[in-house]
Amino acid sequence: MTISKGHRVPLGLFLLLCLNLLLAPAVQAATSVAESRFSAYTITLLGLVTLCLCVYLFVVIFQPERF
Amino acid sequence: MKTTKTRQERKHTPKVKNTGIYTRAFKQAFVKLDPRNMLKNPVMFLVWVGTIVTALVTIEPNLFGVTPDNNPRLFNGLITIILFLTLIFANFAEAVAEGRGKAQADSLRATKSDVVARKLLPDGSIQEVNSATLRRGDQIKVIAGDVIPADGEVIAGVASVDESAITGESAPVLKQPGTDIASSVTGGTRINSDELTIRVTSDPGQGFIDRMIALVEGASRTKTPNEIALTVLLAVLTQVFLVVIVTLPTVSVYVKSPVSIAVLIALLVALIPTTIGGLLSAIGIAGMDRVAQFNVIATSGRAVEACGDINTLVLDKTGTITLGNRMAEEFIPVKGHSLNEVAQISLASSIFDETPEGKSIVKLAESLGAKLSFNPTNAAGIEFSAKTRMSGIDLPNGVEIRKGAVDAIKGFVRSRNGQLTPELDAAYERVSKLGGTPLAICQNDDIYGVIYLKDIIKPGIKERFDQMRRMGIKTVMLTGDNRLTASVIAEEAGVDDFIAEATPEDKIEVIRSEQAQGKLVAMTGDGTNDAPALAQANVGVAMNSGTQAAKEAANMVDLDSDPTKLIDIVTIGKQLLITRGALTTFSLANDVAKYFAIIPAIFPGIGVNGLNIMGLASTQSAVLSALIYNALIIPALIPLALTGVKFRPLTADQLLQRNIFIYGLGGVIAPFIAIKIIDVFIVSIGLA
Repeated sequence: MTISKGHRVPLGLFLLLCLNLLLAPAVQAATSVAESRFSAYTITLLGLVTLCLCVYLFVVIFQPERF
Repeated sequence: MKTTKTRQERKHTPKVKNTGIYTRAFKQAFVKLDPRNMLKNPVMFLVWVGTIVTALVTIEPNLFGVTPDNNPRLFNGLITIILFLTLIFANFAEAVAEGRGKAQADSLRATKSDVVARKLLPDGSIQEVNSATLRRGDQIKVIAGDVIPADGEVIAGVASVDESAITGESAPVLKQPGTDIASSVTGGTRINSDELTIRVTSDPGQGFIDRMIALVEGASRTKTPNEIALTVLLAVLTQVFLVVIVTLPTVSVYVKSPVSIAVLIALLVALIPTTIGGLLSAIGIAGMDRVAQFNVIATSGRAVEACGDINTLVLDKTGTITLGNRMAEEFIPVKGHSLNEVAQISLASSIFDETPEGKSIVKLAESLGAKLSFNPTNAAGIEFSAKTRMSGIDLPNGVEIRKGAVDAIKGFVRSRNGQLTPELDAAYERVSKLGGTPLAICQNDDIYGVIYLKDIIKPGIKERFDQMRRMGIKTVMLTGDNRLTASVIAEEAGVDDFIAEATPEDKIEVIRSEQAQGKLVAMTGDGTNDAPALAQANVGVAMNSGTQAAKEAANMVDLDSDPTKLIDIVTIGKQLLITRGALTTFSLANDVAKYFAIIPAIFPGIGVNGLNIMGLASTQSAVLSALIYNALIIPALIPLALTGVKFRPLTADQLLQRNIFIYGLGGVIAPFIAIKIIDVFIVSIGLA
């Protein structure tokens, strides 16, 4: 299936939030200090955004001409 | 006498309205916040993401868990504002750099409008059509007062054309067919007198002005190899600091000194090289703009940057090293002829010669009292050709008078069974040793003497070549003159090497041989026969007065048609690379002070207070001071990024030492002082 350029960003965000749903409970379970359920979701989302930034920076490093 | 302009005098951009550049740049700074634009700059994109996250924790300080900061909403809000200003300042720098190009594009666009063109039909009749319908190969007629509707080559007529719309030069230029340097016309220029028949050489939208608009506007700007390499370096550094910051919360929890998300983002932004990240594209655009200020249009930033790496300059002697128009200085009689006889024969030989040299011979002969002894209307002029290397006149009584290269005249005299004389060789040597061009003169089989054509070396050219040598650039002079004359001019001008009796093919040969040794070569040219060499050179600068072929082959076009500008362009290229290196050094050196400011402040409980050598008041004041410095240094360096680091003709090693001292050491010391001052100010107004 081909994804049009205009649909890439919403699809990426959707997948990110789905992944967040999966990982947030694990984050909440792993923290020693009692974090609220909401904080667990936001921290996981922040972690995923940071991971995306890392991937983006690797793309810049290996394919600089794209930027 | 023609004088050489200084670099500052050569620098001008005609008819560009600079008013409103800063207002437009300010608006553009906000428009450029579009994430699709920010993605192109990895350093600033991280700042952009950081700004959004800190904005969120300003609205809800406990978004990512309970924050350890006091008064977090104010603190996070201040961080958000500072990060936002950092983005705006960086975008503003780029927009200001682009602004001048856009202003130039607007002024060019004003010259470009659809006009009614007189198209010549195959049956010879004229049809009036809109200029937008003209195609390559069409023939058009333009008369005095008309705007030339498209780029083309003159195929008939002689007329003066006002090219000030693109060159800024108010003096009209004579256009005529058949010559390399005067037959090409540009759409949008105006014909002042007479009429021309022109063959269109470009389709609509692909003319010279269209290409110039696209270039100066930055529409076709792509990152140069040097910029790409620097972008990779900055991305690697950003990646490293991102990983460091991500691991810090674990350490902070372990040492029981929790750090808020806002402080972590502040630390990340302070450490990543935002100064060079924010100014990188502005430096590149400003480099192209500096070239445009010399009235030179570069086809790409790559060409400007290549100028900075040039190892060899290939220069024509005439017009570049010497003033161009050689003037007759002296007649040297041989074989017992009197000075008056030589003047008489010289006058006769040059009466049909319309070149500046020919006219100067007539002037000198007349000043010595020479007069024509025949009616010129009955005589036949013999034009100079590269093959015969002589010109002259045939009189009705069968007398042949010739002037030209000494070898050619010797051959002519021998072919008429005449006798040569050692005096001729002596005169030839004397003139050559003076750096002049010797022209022999004869009537039938009798040699009369030698005309000394004086070549004047441009004032200050020797000093400029000395500068080039100190920068490690080799200069090669090409001339059609004999070896002796060439060696004298080369010695006087201070060029490193020369090629005498050069043909256009020699240009491409010398470029290829230099490139084979791994060197980058720059050259200028204007004729169709220069086109292959212009395309072969790493930097080819075509004269605007040159042919379409030369302009298309080159990667720069000099609108003023001044070949000496090649030296200025090389200087600008060097300046561009030096500026980029200097600001990168400064940006990285800044990190030292920021470490000393933030690390002891965010880990007060682990015994690293000794690192707080600036004595910053608190965690919050330390973070805010470092960030404010980080933001303010960008606008503070915008003038340097736009004007470039002052160029000094030093070797690469000397430049490196100097830059490390000024921008490296300065980059370490300056933030210590600035951050301390900002900290004192913040505490005094009670912000932290």
